[in-house]
Amino acid sequence: MAFLDSLGGSRRDQIVSKRRDTCGRGSRRAPHPSWRLLIGYAVCTQARASGRKRQSLLHVGSPAMEESMQTETKVRPESGAESGPRSPSCTLRHFACEQNLLSRPDGSASFLQGDTSVLAGVYGPAEVKVRKEIFNKATLEVILRPKIGLPGVAEKSRERLIRNTCEAVVLGALHPRTSITVVLQVISDAGSLLACCLNAACMALVDAGVPMRALFCGVTCALDSDGTFMLDPTAKQEKEARAVLTFALDSVERKLLMSTTKGLYSDAELQQCLAAAQTASQHVFRFYRESLQRRYSKS
Amino acid sequence: TLCLQRLDGRQTYDYRNIKISFGTDYGCCIVELGKTRVLGQVSCELVSPKLNRATEGILFFNLELSQMAAPAFEPGRQSDLLVKLNRLLERCLRNSKCIDTESLCVVAGEKVWQIRVDLHLLNHDGNIIDAASIAAIVALCHFRRPDVSVQGDEVTLYTPEERDPVPLSIHHMPICVSFAFFQQGTYLLVDPNEREERVMDGLLVIAMNKHREICTIQSSGGIMLLKDQVLRCSKIAGVKVLEITELIQKALENDQKVRKEGGKFGFAESIANQRITAFKMEKAPIDTSDVEEKAEEIISEAEPPLEVVSKPVLWTPGTAQIGEGIENSWGDLEDSEKEDEDEGGSDEAIILDSIKTDTGVEISNIGSQDAPIVLSDSEEEEMIILEPDKNPKKIRTQTIHATQEKGPSKKPVKKRKKKRTAN
Amino acid sequence: MAEPAAHAAESFAGCRARAARTVLDQVVLPGEELLLPEQEDGEGPGGAGERPLRLNAGARPRVRVVCGPGLRRCGDRLLVTKCGRLRHKEAGGGGGSGVYWVDSQQKRYVPVKGDHVIGIVTAKSGDIFKVDVGGSEPASLSYLAFEGATKRNRPNVQIGDLIYGQFVVANKDMEPEMVCIDSCGRANGMGVIGQDGLLFKVTLGLVRKLLAPNCEILQEVGKLYPLEIVFGMNGRIWVKAKTIQQTLILANVLEACEHMTADQRKQIFSRLAES
Repeated sequence: MAFLDSLGGSRRDQIVSKRRDTCGRGSRRAPHPSWRLLIGYAVCTQARASGRKRQSLLHVGSPAMEESMQTETKVRPESGAESGPRSPSCTLRHFACEQNLLSRPDGSASFLQGDTSVLAGVYGPAEVKVRKEIFNKATLEVILRPKIGLPGVAEKSRERLIRNTCEAVVLGALHPRTSITVVLQVISDAGSLLACCLNAACMALVDAGVPMRALFCGVTCALDSDGTFMLDPTAKQEKEARAVLTFALDSVERKLLMSTTKGLYSDAELQQCLAAAQTASQHVFRFYRESLQRRYSKS
Repeated sequence: TLCLQRLDGRQTYDYRNIKISFGTDYGCCIVELGKTRVLGQVSCELVSPKLNRATEGILFFNLELSQMAAPAFEPGRQSDLLVKLNRLLERCLRNSKCIDTESLCVVAGEKVWQIRVDLHLLNHDGNIIDAASIAAIVALCHFRRPDVSVQGDEVTLYTPEERDPVPLSIHHMPICVSFAFFQQGTYLLVDPNEREERVMDGLLVIAMNKHREICTIQSSGGIMLLKDQVLRCSKIAGVKVLEITELIQKALENDQKVRKEGGKFGFAESIANQRITAFKMEKAPIDTSDVEEKAEEIISEAEPPLEVVSKPVLWTPGTAQIGEGIENSWGDLEDSEKEDEDEGGSDEAIILDSIKTDTGVEISNIGSQDAPIVLSDSEEEEMIILEPDKNPKKIRTQTIHATQEKGPSKKPVKKRKKKRTAN
Repeated sequence: MAEPAAHAAESFAGCRARAARTVLDQVVLPGEELLLPEQEDGEGPGGAGERPLRLNAGARPRVRVVCGPGLRRCGDRLLVTKCGRLRHKEAGGGGGSGVYWVDSQQKRYVPVKGDHVIGIVTAKSGDIFKVDVGGSEPASLSYLAFEGATKRNRPNVQIGDLIYGQFVVANKDMEPEMVCIDSCGRANGMGVIGQDGLLFKVTLGLVRKLLAPNCEILQEVGKLYPLEIVFGMNGRIWVKAKTIQQTLILANVLEACEHMTADQRKQIFSRLAES
């Protein structure tokens, strides 16, 4: 613990100065990427068992975390309709979903949460490669494609999270020796990207008619430095947040299918976020229902 | 006697509908050419220039054939088609000098802008190259790079808030037009769709700008074309390029107007409202007033963590150990059981863990985490149910009973469940 | 305003199942639980769903209910696995028995025994043909499964030919097998589909809609031009009219029918009939 403390303290100045020159734009890189990663990792494992005493250093830990996750040196001007501050109360941004918009995949959906947008295409149950064949269930694959550059570690890790969530609800045993492939394309990232990916994946799976035991949705929560939480945060809110938590919840029992977090938070805050995510999930599921009802309104 | 019927009812020289929509980010667009769909995104980065071109910025194109577009496209494979398309794009856009690369120089010999154009094919219904070339030029026209200023050695980058980002200087807009040939060139079609591409004998791609300057030309498929056939194609291309350029300019102007007036823009606006496959929901307030209460309830019901003070042990200089190593518990069931219980009491995070495992039981084989709980209660004979798993719900409730009897530490889980079902 | 919201939340909470009877022809979503008529009777109107009743509770006569596509049985609960409209077909006996299924608009075909489909011959190997039917693996078709075929007298089937046939074996664990003869050994319309014509793909839901008894679309189409048409349950339709133009018009009209209301369809057909 003491080790971390001192680390966090010494890093503070650098981080602040970095912020000032607009987030390491241009050729500057994080000076010790490996070291930062170490901090990030330690923070993650710590977050599990936490206590009130640690609150003071939370502020230090999380920017370091933030930085370690985003050592991107590329510049993409941020702009958009969401530059105005959102009220701190808990709201979900406007949602939009279009299904069956691609002709080639068996199912497709584009999901928008505010300015965040993800396109999903599903193929399946389709032919499977022999080396990937599973004799008693379908082989489920998730591919996440970034908008700029080639997929990296961040995408691979998200693919896994999404895949495990899908695996939990898809009834793969009904189609053994087949493949179900979910391809996700990031169209624009303006915060809560993983949640949007999950929602797009679910709607595309429904569109493809893949049998599922329940629907699922993703909800992202961000915790402020002063402990207030926001649902469905924008990119800016995520950046300024002390911790960002993403949950996947199922529609039948409203239970947790997947959770991933970064940053520091207390157990009370975790429970609060989870409870808020559960409440928010009801809105998402209602959105699902209404869009599907509209879709089938002419059949 | 060029009498031809196209499957979608088009005339020989007709393009499919072209739709251009923009994202909220600068330099982001989706181009739809009939059902073919391409996403374009331009980004920039300050890099050091190439040695032989010290005062020129760098242009980089990357078209990806996503597996989403067609099941036959494999991720991460450089297929012949992909190489051919990327090369053609480079010739059409980079070699035709449509972007003023010298204006991308910041400090000669040291810092120049590298402009990267990422194109993703989202749905393949033929004529990828025309759609991709339109997406590339539209994205480049739409893009704004951050403003920079140079004072002495110091390069200052400005955020969009500080100074308005600047557009790239574009000399002209090259656009590819594809012609498919059938029966050794007897018949030709403009903008072949996927079914037409599958049966065509040859393909001629002409890249041209609205001044009728040919930027690149490529014939593939190995058919012999006569001089006047190529000339006729270039004439048709001229007309098509003019039409498409006009459409692009209109789309760009429209987007700019909306942004200036502070209206709504981005992909959400381009979804057709009347389509029954589309649905929108306005911002939804979420009532989170009871969240704190709920969380407190869960935590208060959980047992407080035991104060465990770990004593670091120094074995040799440079090493340290906290806590105990894992004991060998082979054949010693009772001991391990105790340990289990201790752990349950000491770790607050168990609340979350056990919720997870609850779902886990149904979902997959993470049930192993549950197993120790079931087997540890030797009195509870009924726990081990060897019947075929007909009713998982029932078994689950029994496990919950068992956990309840076992110790107070697991209690919150059950309570929470009850509350949920009551909701 | 508040009522539908509460309704949606209720059904999603999963603890309260809706009676299958009341949601007939409505949209159901994966994860929803349905109660069969005898289950709701047993519970009384208020207690529905509080504790699921066994199918054969008490001395109640057992009712035979078939669980169609999009539904699955889990213990004595009936769960929805696909999104679509819930349909029901009464069996002869009545009293709630019969088939329940979910009518979805999916595109991917999964072979079902007894379905008539249009396949494309992709390979000949030994004494079987491999036929692509749009499922996850090609179906096999024996060269003896044609009318009048014997070991000496092989049917004339080439790679790339279109086949109209029926599944005799189709389950999740086995390679699907097709035949082009009925149980009496007659072709009965099955076999190789002739030259020319146009094959196109639509959603599986549209084919079911078109093949429904007294579907007005087909009657209208038939009035337009003389035509030959074959429907495969795998979402493939083959059509041939006198001219290519007419064939294309027919294909486009059928494709467009998917998302049109009955009134819109009427307009289109009357316009086509005039021209």
